[in-house]
Amino acid sequence: MSGNTISRRRALQAIAAAAGTAVSAPAILRAQDTLQLGVLTPLTGAGGFDGPRMLKAMQAVATEVNAAGGLLGRQISLIIEDDQTNPEPAVRASRKLIDVSKVPVIMGTWASAVTSAVAPVCWESKTFLTTVSGADSITLLPHQGYLIRTQPNNHLQAQKHAEFIASIGAKRVFCLSIQAPFAVPTQNRLSEVLPQKGSQLIGSLIYEKDKTTYRSEIDQALRAKPDFLYLNGYAPDVTVMMRDLYRAGFDGGRLTQSYALTSKVLESLPPEVTEGAYTTQPSADIDSPAFARAVKRLGIDDPDSYETQATDWISLVCLTIAKAKEATGTALRDNVRKISQGSGMKVYTAVEGLKALAEGKEINYEGASGPCDFTDIGDIQDCKFRYQQVAGGKFKFLKVA
Amino acid sequence: MVTEVLQLIINGIMAGTILAVPAIGLTAIFAVLRFANFALASHATIGAFAGLVANVNFGLPIVPSLLFAFLVAAVVGVVTDEFVLKPFRAAGFITTAIGSIALTIALENVVRFIFGNELRGYDLPIRRDWRFEGIRIGPQQVENLVIAVAVMAAVFLFLMLTRIGKAMRAVADNPMLANIKGINAEMVARIVSFVGMGLAGLGGMLIGLDTTIDPLTGFRSMLSIFAAAVVGGLGSIPGAVVGALTVGIGEELSLLFLSPNYRSAVGFFTILLVLIFRPRGILGQRAL
Repeated sequence: MSGNTISRRRALQAIAAAAGTAVSAPAILRAQDTLQLGVLTPLTGAGGFDGPRMLKAMQAVATEVNAAGGLLGRQISLIIEDDQTNPEPAVRASRKLIDVSKVPVIMGTWASAVTSAVAPVCWESKTFLTTVSGADSITLLPHQGYLIRTQPNNHLQAQKHAEFIASIGAKRVFCLSIQAPFAVPTQNRLSEVLPQKGSQLIGSLIYEKDKTTYRSEIDQALRAKPDFLYLNGYAPDVTVMMRDLYRAGFDGGRLTQSYALTSKVLESLPPEVTEGAYTTQPSADIDSPAFARAVKRLGIDDPDSYETQATDWISLVCLTIAKAKEATGTALRDNVRKISQGSGMKVYTAVEGLKALAEGKEINYEGASGPCDFTDIGDIQDCKFRYQQVAGGKFKFLKVA
Repeated sequence: MVTEVLQLIINGIMAGTILAVPAIGLTAIFAVLRFANFALASHATIGAFAGLVANVNFGLPIVPSLLFAFLVAAVVGVVTDEFVLKPFRAAGFITTAIGSIALTIALENVVRFIFGNELRGYDLPIRRDWRFEGIRIGPQQVENLVIAVAVMAAVFLFLMLTRIGKAMRAVADNPMLANIKGINAEMVARIVSFVGMGLAGLGGMLIGLDTTIDPLTGFRSMLSIFAAAVVGGLGSIPGAVVGALTVGIGEELSLLFLSPNYRSAVGFFTILLVLIFRPRGILGQRAL
């Protein structure tokens, strides 16, 4: 018995010593003192090309803010989780960020299906969510204001895409969509806008992801004799479709989102397969001072829409926290529009904005991805689009409009 | 309409035949080791990437690359079974199957660490399809079909004619009797892991030849491979082939009356029907 007592006492002493060491350890101190912000991007899966770049853009801004003195007197640190472009792991990761790390914000969901799954977890725990997902349904969720997106919604995107397709002379358009929340709204909007511009949607179908071949879907589409195909999917399936279309001898036009036909995807396909294909994406605001600052910060010539949107999320989050003087999801919800729009002084980076706020000024953050002005339900009010065409296995810039 | 049905059946046969190769691997491992080895998914991916290295980096033609894919996946299969899954087997088959899921995720991430997330393609000229009376058939698909059929024939001959093949069948039929007859069950386990995972690797590359590959290549096909093995009768190699063709053709024919987004659902509905009426699969679980 006495042996046990001694051993218990020794154990307690050891724990106390360990605790003492821990408290004095600089690393632990840092962890306690930092202001933690959650990042949930797809580092793997279909979004694995965009997610890591979005993360880098956020890290670059965080570094800049920390170098300028941090936020509310603390350094910021990003707690990073991988959503795997898959709703189930994404929900688990978001629970970890909210319950364990207790972050006020989660930035970075990419796929609409992932955002639709994560959003309820966020609003129920009063955590703010920023996303690039485009499905119309997302901002229509009962999110109580705990969500903003910097990506134009499907309604706006499909409208712009239809206008572009009609402008290049396509008359008979068929839409192949992956099974995702954006599939039907996009098809509906195309069928509304194309006839107004002298074209028509002659058919559409929704296909499953993760198939090794889409020959039968392609056959179904080609039976309608289209002169243009809108491939509304992600890289793994659009890649397979591009090959199957070439094999089937389809020579008409094809348009897809830039995230489905990236420069890496082009490298993986023979050039004749992608020749002439158009890509589109919401464009960064390439003429804005915020974009110029992002170019310098990231050390790349041409940050894309995702990198600039990620830049804008963390900038908006930092500025809102500074404005509210409080790092909570509710403070973010209640104050984000106070720094993103209105008649305040225009600022183009988080550091500029923090300085202006410290001087007691009202600010209006103008982002690298666009003006970052939000509607009541969290959609952006305006955005530009970038169009490219593949020539000889490389992208040729057409226009930003 | 007739052309459409015929085209769907041909597409189904093409898809099913490729699916059959890894399904044979899965069913062979189940027959001998008596657990569903979900690590097959990552071995398919490993094979696909090994084939990519052989084809793109070493400049080898497709058939030697397929052989390389088989060998690399087979060796990885033996090593992982020996050091990871074998210790699990003492804890029961469910634990081993769950362990194989953990293993597949780990291996998939090793591939991701080495090769990254990007989609990659083989150095292979792409050709337009042949057309006969409104039916189109891809030259690459026909080549894949020939390779898959040749591999299946080789596996059958191996099991029927070689001493090792017969030993594998004996262990699968009755492990205790095989043990009494002096067959080394451990050696048979290693051989079945070698062959089974090699077939997974080869199947992974066959899938990639027609598409592109990334670290999730095997994972994406795993459900269909598993379904093929179960429908045919888990443990039966002819069953895996029949199951793969049933799943392949069934999914394609469903497009006649349903939207393509229900393709898998119909495939799995067929599986439920088959299993309700024949709980041991179409050909039963007669080993190998």
